[in-house]
Amino acid sequence: MIRVAAAGDLHVGPEVAGAYRARLHGLADQADVFLVAGDLTRHGTVEEGRVAAGELRDLGVPVITVLGNHDYHSDAEEEIADVLRDAGVTVLENEGTVLDCGGTRLGVAGGKGFGGGFQGKCASDFGEPEMKAFVRHAKDVAARFGGALLGLDADVRVSLTHYAPVDDTLEGEPPEIYPFLGSYLLGEAIDAAGVELAIHGHAHKGTEKGLTQGGVRVRNVALPVIQHAYALYTLDPHPAPAR
Amino acid sequence: MPEYLSAHIQERLAAQAHELGIRVDVRGDVVHLRGEVVSEERRREVEEAARAAAEGHRICNEVSVVPVGEPDGEERLS
Repeated sequence: MIRVAAAGDLHVGPEVAGAYRARLHGLADQADVFLVAGDLTRHGTVEEGRVAAGELRDLGVPVITVLGNHDYHSDAEEEIADVLRDAGVTVLENEGTVLDCGGTRLGVAGGKGFGGGFQGKCASDFGEPEMKAFVRHAKDVAARFGGALLGLDADVRVSLTHYAPVDDTLEGEPPEIYPFLGSYLLGEAIDAAGVELAIHGHAHKGTEKGLTQGGVRVRNVALPVIQHAYALYTLDPHPAPAR
Repeated sequence: MPEYLSAHIQERLAAQAHELGIRVDVRGDVVHLRGEVVSEERRREVEEAARAAAEGHRICNEVSVVPVGEPDGEERLS
């Protein structure tokens, strides 16, 4: 059995340094891994990145994160990723990693993802260059993320994104902003790989539990949604369904 | 135009307080703020940003602070 702790949208900064970490002291006893679904910072500054690294370093379990849209706001996403990596945090951007959890190989593929909307309610790769760029970026991100998922050689596979792969977990958000909260392309990539669990954040007013079209459990772990420092999920290894 | 005040307040919330998920409703001369943030300080920042964008309006700050404690259980996905 794999025990996964997960949270997203920490939005830390110097004014709250240490406050989140203070809630994590029981983590190592409860989980094999801690997955963080992006938006570690508010403004995306390196200073905030350092605070995030301080919250997440040396927790006693591997910490795997993706960045979120806030972490990109100051164009310092690469520096933030470096600061986190220096603290021992694994930062995934459309790539995968495999951990040995007591003899079971846990594969996690992660990426920020992007928006675009959901089936029947999404933007099209058509028209003005700005719109085409938006949609093409979403497609490119999803394709690379999907490749990372398919490349995982593991007993249990988990998807980690910031943006939502389904609209189930957006329930509570205004429908008009769904296209800025996620993309069905991420869900399609998840279903193509047949993972056990898909974790995301970003939708603060959404709901925790959802399902992809292919039946993969989706969990929105944004802190305002789970209302705790992290959520805990246990997974049993079993073969991925043939596709 | 005053009809668009709530949108302009939301712009200010994003730019100044970096909060994207706050609902803003303007009713008469009162601005109502609803949503959730992670600390009392953020709650105050949201209010200050809204105040700066809504001169002459009273701010009704109903934003709540999320209590983030340790989880009270786990979910088994089998």
